[in-house]
Amino acid sequence: MSWISRATVLFDQIFRRRRSDRDLDAEVGAYFEEVVDRYVERGMSREEARKAARLKFEGPEQVKQNVREAQTGAVMEGTFRDVRYAARMLRKKPGFATVAIFSLALGLGATSAMYSIADALLLRPLSVPKPEGVIAISPVTDQMFPGLSGISYPDYAQFRDHNRTFEGLIATSFSSFGFAPNRENVPKMKYGMFVSGNFFKVLGVEPQLGRGFLPEEDEGQGRDTVVVLSHELWVSQYGGSVSAIGQKLWLNGIEFTVLGVTPESFSGTDQFVRPALYVPFALSPRMGAVNNLEDRQVRWLAVKGRLKQGVTIAQAQSDIDGLTNELQKTYPKTDGSLRMKVETQLQFQTNYAPQRTVFIAMLGLLAVSVLLVACTNVAGLLLSRSATRAREIAVRIAVGAGRLSLIRQLLIENLFLALGGGIAGLGIAYAAVKSFTSIPLPSDLPVKLDMQVDTRVLLFTFGASIVTTLLFGLAPALISTRPDLVPALKAADAMTSKTGKPWGRNLLVAGQLAISLVLLVVSAVLVQGFQAEIVRGPGFRTDRLFVASLNTSLLRYADAQTELFYKQLLDKTRLAPDVNSATLASSIPISMGASQLGVVPEGHQLELGQEAITIFDNVVSDNYFDLMRIPIVRGRSFAESDNKDAPAVAVVNEQFAHDYWPNQDALGKRFHLRTESGKLVEIVGVARTTKYLSISEAPLDFVYLPFAQNQQPQMTLIAEAKSPDAAALAPVLRQVVQEMDRDMPVFDARTMHDIYTNRAVKTPLLIDGIISALGAMGLLLAAVGLYGLVTYSVSRRTREIGIRMALGANPFSVLKMVLKEGLGLGIAGVAVGLVIGVQLCRALTHTAFLSIGELSMVPFAVVSLFLLFIAMAATYLPARRASRIDPLRALREE
Amino acid sequence: MTKQAELLQGTLDLLILRTLDLQPLHGVGISDRIEQVTRGVFIVGPGSLFPALHRLAEQGWIAGKWTELGNKRRVKVYELTKSGRSRLAAEKRNWEKVFTAMNRVLAEES
Repeated sequence: MSWISRATVLFDQIFRRRRSDRDLDAEVGAYFEEVVDRYVERGMSREEARKAARLKFEGPEQVKQNVREAQTGAVMEGTFRDVRYAARMLRKKPGFATVAIFSLALGLGATSAMYSIADALLLRPLSVPKPEGVIAISPVTDQMFPGLSGISYPDYAQFRDHNRTFEGLIATSFSSFGFAPNRENVPKMKYGMFVSGNFFKVLGVEPQLGRGFLPEEDEGQGRDTVVVLSHELWVSQYGGSVSAIGQKLWLNGIEFTVLGVTPESFSGTDQFVRPALYVPFALSPRMGAVNNLEDRQVRWLAVKGRLKQGVTIAQAQSDIDGLTNELQKTYPKTDGSLRMKVETQLQFQTNYAPQRTVFIAMLGLLAVSVLLVACTNVAGLLLSRSATRAREIAVRIAVGAGRLSLIRQLLIENLFLALGGGIAGLGIAYAAVKSFTSIPLPSDLPVKLDMQVDTRVLLFTFGASIVTTLLFGLAPALISTRPDLVPALKAADAMTSKTGKPWGRNLLVAGQLAISLVLLVVSAVLVQGFQAEIVRGPGFRTDRLFVASLNTSLLRYADAQTELFYKQLLDKTRLAPDVNSATLASSIPISMGASQLGVVPEGHQLELGQEAITIFDNVVSDNYFDLMRIPIVRGRSFAESDNKDAPAVAVVNEQFAHDYWPNQDALGKRFHLRTESGKLVEIVGVARTTKYLSISEAPLDFVYLPFAQNQQPQMTLIAEAKSPDAAALAPVLRQVVQEMDRDMPVFDARTMHDIYTNRAVKTPLLIDGIISALGAMGLLLAAVGLYGLVTYSVSRRTREIGIRMALGANPFSVLKMVLKEGLGLGIAGVAVGLVIGVQLCRALTHTAFLSIGELSMVPFAVVSLFLLFIAMAATYLPARRASRIDPLRALREE
Repeated sequence: MTKQAELLQGTLDLLILRTLDLQPLHGVGISDRIEQVTRGVFIVGPGSLFPALHRLAEQGWIAGKWTELGNKRRVKVYELTKSGRSRLAAEKRNWEKVFTAMNRVLAEES
């Protein structure tokens, strides 16, 4: 009762200070009034009476001060006493405090770091006001990376103008722009966004400076050439000056006027790529994307919107479904199989790349299991301590301590642990996030992986640690304060009166061992898989190559100009000093720029509603396979004769050939491009399957198309150096391009080796590192737990062991007895862990995006033996101590 | 504090509890009653009365309620709670113990 009412007073004083003050004021005031009245009745004037009252007593202010001191003093004093006592108790058992705090820190650090990563990669909402109201509309696809497919502009216009459920629908599309602040400057490549005219209005983003777009600025062919700058570009190019508004700049060689600047907090509508600038869609034809606003097959938009008040997602879905139906009927050729999905932005983000979501969920699961092990550890420690403290508590109750004040004190002790663990855990999380962000991305993309330990992580960490310690620290304390004093006081230890084994604790420790075994086995299997892949290599060469990207649409080249440019570029590069050979490709394997293509193999039966099979492709010039050393296993590679006028040809990889023409020769087979009615392409060669997206991927279907027949403005030049130092080609290639067109921007210039080590080696190794670290943490925690359990059990049984030895048991048999207890748990844990581990690894090998290869039993055997060894070591120390117990002293201890 | 006699540590609480045991009273009422009953031996001024009242209220032994007096003045009237009653009983026993013990000591000496 007492501390609860005191707590209410304390609460009142902190949060309702004013009210309780006013109360006190009135009360003391009334007292003085009454005294004054009394004096007046005795014949004094009111003035004299006041003076007399003040002389007789302390003034009202002093009285109030006395009251306040009495109140806070009592509460604060009690609390401080408890804090001091708690600190003293923990200091007395530094081992206990260290192990508990360390366990909590590891578990919390791991989960917090994982949460930060998941937040950055997956969960963080858009940086707009009321982000939870942003709804995404995307096409339903069966593609591996649904995020790569979009909506065509005319389809978007239909949804925008005829829906009845949205406040507004916006569209966006990333594009590269050749940006120059002056006419004279060589343009730089910047990633920007084409956006619909209502973009800023619907998202609710107020430009920090100037204004957003007007509706008429996104109509027809675009009224004015206007651009809104991102905060970053504004600062880097204009030094954050207000005078930037209204200034001229050049995009793809066209003069633009700066309308406004987005606020610093706004990072665009993509999670990773921050656009440097925003341009209305209406201007895109002038910028080089000629037919993209009319063609229903150019699906290049991402569409988002905000719902009208009171409209549910299901209603919006049926609204959009209705419009989609109309589109299907009106444009059966292009939109016949169109289907749309309406979902929240968060759902969209998690569905965007399912592989990523699964991967993050997996890491999260591992982290949570480490937290689980840590919590069971702390729980075990606290439980065993509560047993030893039962006597102390019984004594204190017997001498008159209130049960509640005891609980308050235990509460404070546990909070000490929780805070200590939380703070140390945050330190670990911070270090982990720091090391994760240090990996560079192999591209000029303005990608920002904004990982941080933010307030939510902070709250999560401390919340989890407090819940753990309270649950396992306070609950047993509550039980031990039950005033059943006599047996507790009599027995040296309250728990020895209970016969039987501590099953709960045994279960905890065996469970810990099992979980850490699973963690270690999974990480070992993954590491082995990654290592094997790295040894096997990507299937193409990575040495002596230098790559650089170009985009002729940045200078609005006509098709013929582009053709000529790339032809000359190849010729001139091949002749340049230090260059052995050169080729062109639309994307570099393992870089991130992979594009997708719809194909329909001739005679293949598409599923209902399926428009085409989507596979990854690369548009390459004729000597690509030679230069990259990708073997052609059947047929031929592209030749110079495969030009615009020749029949359309393609080279496919072995996987594709195998998937669609099993047990047949794929040579001479044909497929349609894009849709069933699309252009027919003949397969003239089959190339060896290599790695395309990541080093650990399972074999993917892949198609190569000749550049001469599939011209596009953005290509990457790959040059082979004569010397091993490929980086030396950077100035050479730049010189070649400058000589051809001094305005042509060169971007993403780097060596192939760089791309490969960063993307294929460092990232998987980092992931391995994380998983192994989680496994190691789990093991460490389990070892500590086992050690704690056995030590505890030995100390409880000191007397029993003493008697045994007094009766003639030799130290060796005692050692054996204790070891057996610990090892039994170890074996049980390992057995359970093995069963789960095998199942999990089986499941992992079946996921499409992770190739682990054949499941080998070696990691299982190694990890199991290692774990048993650790269990043995953790048991041996207390066991040896037990075997050295002096029977006389043990018996006298009573 | 008091001019007439030093209050023994802890006696003020007992005095207040006992006073409120007879009937609910407000601040001035409590002061007056203690002065009357002890015939002016203990005079409890507001500087010690109010902290004691609030301390007792905090412990849940007495409870204050705002009430309007005949002369329209609003005062806080305190009354003994159930736990206050048992507290009073305990304090009384304690006091008797101390009192007898003190008397014995004094009797021995004289």
